[in-house]
Amino acid sequence: MRLFHVAGEGWEALWANKLRTCFMMAGTLVGIAALTVIMTIGKGTERQVMRRVENFGPRAMMLVAGGGRATGPPDAQITTLTLADMEAIREQIPGLEIVTPQAWATRAQLTRGSAQTRATLWGVEPEWHAAWDWYVADGEGITDEDVATMARVCVIGSSVKRELFGDEDPIGERLYVNKVSLTVTGVLEPRGSAGTGGGDFDNRILLPITTAMRRVLNVDHIGAVRMITTDARRMPEQAEAITGLMRRRHGIRPPAEDDFRINSPLAVAEVVRGTSRTLSILLMVLAALSLFVGGVVLMNILLISVAERTPEIGLRRALGAKRGDIFTQFLTESLSVTFLGMVLGSGLGAGVALAIRQLTSLPVILSWEPFAVGIAFALLVGLFFGVQPARRAARLHPVEALR
Amino acid sequence: MIELEGIEKTYTRGEVVTRVLQGLSFEVEAGEYVAIMGASGTGKSTLMNILGCLDKPTAGHYRLDGTDMVQLEDEALSELRNHKIGFVFQQFHLLQRTTARKNVLLPLIYAEDYPENAEEMAEAALEMVGLHDRIDYRPNQLSGGQQQRVAIARALITNPAVLLADEPTGNLDRRSGAEVMAIFQQLHADGRTVILVTHDLELAEHAERVIVLEDGQIAEDRPVAKPRDAEHELATLTSVQEVDE
Ligand SMILES: Nc1ncnc2c1ncn2[C@@H]1O[C@H](COP(=O)(O)OP(=O)(O)O)[C@@H](O)[C@H]1O
Ligand SMILES: [Mg+2]
Repeated sequence: MRLFHVAGEGWEALWANKLRTCFMMAGTLVGIAALTVIMTIGKGTERQVMRRVENFGPRAMMLVAGGGRATGPPDAQITTLTLADMEAIREQIPGLEIVTPQAWATRAQLTRGSAQTRATLWGVEPEWHAAWDWYVADGEGITDEDVATMARVCVIGSSVKRELFGDEDPIGERLYVNKVSLTVTGVLEPRGSAGTGGGDFDNRILLPITTAMRRVLNVDHIGAVRMITTDARRMPEQAEAITGLMRRRHGIRPPAEDDFRINSPLAVAEVVRGTSRTLSILLMVLAALSLFVGGVVLMNILLISVAERTPEIGLRRALGAKRGDIFTQFLTESLSVTFLGMVLGSGLGAGVALAIRQLTSLPVILSWEPFAVGIAFALLVGLFFGVQPARRAARLHPVEALR
Repeated sequence: MIELEGIEKTYTRGEVVTRVLQGLSFEVEAGEYVAIMGASGTGKSTLMNILGCLDKPTAGHYRLDGTDMVQLEDEALSELRNHKIGFVFQQFHLLQRTTARKNVLLPLIYAEDYPENAEEMAEAALEMVGLHDRIDYRPNQLSGGQQQRVAIARALITNPAVLLADEPTGNLDRRSGAEVMAIFQQLHADGRTVILVTHDLELAEHAERVIVLEDGQIAEDRPVAKPRDAEHELATLTSVQEVDE
């Protein structure tokens, strides 16, 4: 009760000097707003990272033709990645549950009667299904026999099915790829647009890898090797071993550039985080600066206020205020200002975050966490910069103060 | 009720040692109206600060209602001031940003328990000093005399054992001063202990006892045979003023 009344004295001073209160509050407001934006973007980014990693496969690695660090599809110009490379990995790299090759062509022309569409073509082995945890919804997947006999069969994604077959049952039907006639044996489960590039995952067609390389594409190289490790923690070490192996096999000596790259969940996460990193760092600097400068301003205004209100402090002491009461009163001013700044800053931050969601492609997720962090920072700034003025006020000698 | 025994106060500033109070001893009974008089700089305010438990003497003992304040910690002194002492200052010391009512309530905030009927108490206190129609005015909307009466109401709200007034009319015109002196006399008549500090003999003689300070010592401690009547003076002033108009 007493505390409430003493705190009330602090609030009254804030209310009576609204402009002063605004100046005291500005830094916290901007700082917390920036923090809120950072956290909403951070949370959105992390959720996206999780989704992308989940899609990529948490225990998966891809050896992809073509250098450079980006994720995404293989480089079609690079013909140095071969089945022999894949075999070498199978034999020499321990701890890999699955190692499976993927031959590849982008925008392959598919025809069925008058219907036409373009889709990504993949030549695969049966293990592809397990390696991607992606099975058929209808019919059968690619089998060992298909690969062994170079069978003229294919498995299609749901988008291809829609384009070429509409509502018909495609199983057992034929379609043409590069004038090669293939029988549809299965339809993949739909996955939607979930790739790192955000493209339509279901717009694809799978062929036995032998059929793809010999009959359709007429190539000796492959686009990628998909690998599933037995233990995700070993991934960095395995990636390094694979890099070494491939450099040896391809005769590459750094600083010469690699003609392959290894994608892993870490690399995928890196790419996703990269987009929002610059903005987050900028905002972090803004937040730190605002909170610190704002805190210093707050402290100085309070110190000035203590000096100006010295007779008032003396009077309160004469009327029976204890040192603690004076301390409480001034700390209340400081904490109330930072809390008010926190509330307004959280609101502003949430507004800005929503605007960012509307205007850009950055992922933004509102949640209670920024508010909790805001409370913590408001408390921290209010205490850190409020204690000194409050102590100075409390230490004034009543007689000196009254003079 | 108030017992001072060999009170000394010495200020040391660097090399300079100022012995302001040099062994004062006197007593004040409950219900007395005492004026402490002396020229400027003789240590009246210094003594007042000690009487008000705002400051401790360098030596000596001061018992207020039996407690020796010299022994007390800062917290206990604050409580003592809150319970037992009502201050009236020359400069009023009102909070400018708030109303008369809120100013009068201020000591209750620091009391042990905030009384439920605080608002009515404040109104009653303001009524007693004749400001029932100024309850929600701010200090800058009041005359000096009215401001000092708000301060008196504030001093009285905790029902203190002693009312201490340091040059309470120093910033007031004659008429407002007389009003304040009349209130003190009324309070005394109601049985309250009042200690008035002044450099003005005429004002001092409103009390029933005068203690004269000189060079940090008591030069004189005498009863006033026939205290001046502030009420009467006020009436005179009023009639003169009426003639003037
Ligand atoms: N804090 C202090 N330090 C040094 N000297 C002081 C201090 N306070 C008062 N004095 C001195 O003590 C003397 C008495 O002051 P004061 O009690 O204010 O006198 P009065 O109220 O009778 O005019 C003065 O000479 C003044 O300069
Ligand atoms: Mg004085």
